[in-house]
Amino acid sequence: MKKVWIVIGLILVFFLIYFLQVDLFNNFTIAGVKPNLFVIYVLFIGLFSNQILGISIGVFIGLILDFLYGKTIGTTAIMLCVIGYMGSYFDKNFSKENKLTIIFMVAGATLIFELGSYFMNSIILDFEREYLYFIKIVLIEILYNVLLSIILYPLIQKVGYVIDRSFKKNNILTRYF
Amino acid sequence: MNRNRQTEILGGVVTVIILILLIFLSNVEVNKLSYLESVASSIISPVQRIFTDLKNKIQGNSAYFSNMDNIIAENEELKSRNSELETELRELEMIKAENTKLQEYMSLSTKYSSYQTIPAYVINKDVSNYSSTLILNVGSNDGIKENMTVIADKGLVGHIISVSDETCKVQVIIDPASTVSCSISTTEESIICKGTLENNQVLRASYIPTGAELIQGDKAYTSGIGGIYPKGIIIGTVKEIITTSNITDRYAIVEPSVDFSKVDTVLIINE
Repeated sequence: MKKVWIVIGLILVFFLIYFLQVDLFNNFTIAGVKPNLFVIYVLFIGLFSNQILGISIGVFIGLILDFLYGKTIGTTAIMLCVIGYMGSYFDKNFSKENKLTIIFMVAGATLIFELGSYFMNSIILDFEREYLYFIKIVLIEILYNVLLSIILYPLIQKVGYVIDRSFKKNNILTRYF
Repeated sequence: MNRNRQTEILGGVVTVIILILLIFLSNVEVNKLSYLESVASSIISPVQRIFTDLKNKIQGNSAYFSNMDNIIAENEELKSRNSELETELRELEMIKAENTKLQEYMSLSTKYSSYQTIPAYVINKDVSNYSSTLILNVGSNDGIKENMTVIADKGLVGHIISVSDETCKVQVIIDPASTVSCSISTTEESIICKGTLENNQVLRASYIPTGAELIQGDKAYTSGIGGIYPKGIIIGTVKEIITTSNITDRYAIVEPSVDFSKVDTVLIINE
């Protein structure tokens, strides 16, 4: 029962993040580049809950974003699904306590998400790829995402361990040793 | 001797303190000390006035000062009149600006009078950094269909890529995936305008014919080729022509006439 409430809570938090992204960060940019809160959100869900929840929430959020803004249906969903899986993979292999690993996780997730969706879109919609400007935008976006996740990490950690405990009762800490 | 020496030192210290105080006071801005000034004047001025009145009565020049009062009153009146006139001027300027805007709308509706249009508001903008779409508040219930052309007061905005019951999605011409076939006003040469990631305020015009002569400031219009956009809608002006070593590679930067960061009301052409 507790799991159901957590999932409902996560979906409500998604709407909060959605309005933050659309109404605040669309106007609050670094050099015209917006952050991507959804990547951070799905990554942390994958990191603190199990693989299935990470992937399914990723697909859910991705489909909503695709229906609302996308020019192709499915690219964001596929990429957020990958990010959800990456979260659970990182959880098995890295510590969540260290800020440096968090920075690398967020940077890697943002890079993979944007690379994947840009290339998929460019193949489906058949437009010319501009590598140099893409790299420039992606680097600023990674910086922005990393900054946001460092600022928000104490909060994320607190909520995250509540989720962690109810989803992974049987896990013993052997994986860190 | 000793006493003299003491007074000497005391006098020196007092002088130094007074000098330092003077330096401080002369460096403080006057308006920061205005409360001190008002305190002083409120203490002094009643007494001062009595003395002045007395003096005036004695000297018989009170008439001059009553004139002075008149002048002060007149000055006050003129000042208030001046501020009234200034506000009126502001209002007139606003009306003038509004008038020019309305005239623009008039010319727009006459310019595109051959098309039937549906007005719409922009309710959302894209969340991604790599694409540019707009969400409008009209949908299939209002008669919107895919591939309809969207224009704003100054020129072309884009075309509709998907429709729901109440909303529709517009691909803006500055989107990197967008391509518009356009023709140049002076020479009627046809070029292709694409959106670019480099700058989301401009378009890159490529496939310029080798013999074509482009000039800065030329207007670019939709050419009607491609089947989505009707002919003759303004896109923007040629801002810069970049020549490369090979003339077939040269391209131009076209500045759209619509400011896409500020666009909030649009018209959808209903064919």
